Amino acid sequence: MIKLLFFGRLGDATYAAPEVFEASVGLTAAGVRDALSSLYPALGRALFEPQVLVSVDRVIVDWQQPLLDGCELAFLPPVTGG
Amino acid sequence: MRNRLVVQLVDFDLAAEYRRLCELDGAVGAVVTFCGLVRDCEQQAPIDSLTLQHYPGMTEASLGDIVASADRRWPLHGITIIHRVGELLPRDQIVFVGVASGHRAAAFQAADYLMDYLKTRAMFWKNVAHGGERQWVDCKDSDRQAAHRWSQDPKRQ
Repeated sequence: MIKLLFFGRLGDATYAAPEVFEASVGLTAAGVRDALSSLYPALGRALFEPQVLVSVDRVIVDWQQPLLDGCELAFLPPVTGG
Repeated sequence: MRNRLVVQLVDFDLAAEYRRLCELDGAVGAVVTFCGLVRDCEQQAPIDSLTLQHYPGMTEASLGDIVASADRRWPLHGITIIHRVGELLPRDQIVFVGVASGHRAAAFQAADYLMDYLKTRAMFWKNVAHGGERQWVDCKDSDRQAAHRWSQDPKRQ
């Protein structure tokens, strides 16, 4: 399984985002985003905003990054620290 | 350790952090410190509290990248960044940036640079509570432009 994390507004309860996603051969971060968009349209619209970044095991990666079983996939909206 | 990067729930002691930077090295001739506070209103509406979320591990790594880039730009003796997370109240301290260098120009510029990049690259997300409702704070264009200027103006490097 792939662990899913949603930060900032992407983690709002209204999106009802799942905590895990089943791993499969050839699965990419973009593939997870596409699948989530089909299942959760409101979440999908938020994930497709151009400033949303994705990380795998705490490293920012390209959306075409292949995913390994057991990895941690995080969706990161624009930051607002300081 | 020359640089000190901390993400914590609890408050920090400005005077103690300043002293630590002063005492790093006999060649330190300038210490610039900045402390960010929770305003009591956001977009002209009073707030009850501000909650900062972070991504443990990745947030610290993002702070490390920002500090390393400042170290490459200026001759610095030490950098301290303390960023609080969790629920904060108006007037609470949120963030501390302190820079020690031989001369003031490097310390002023590096502190300014560190804050600009903290605002736009460090992995924190702010959520404001007011009137019983919660709202995520959007990244401001002015913050993005402030960070962008460091890659545009070679005289500032």
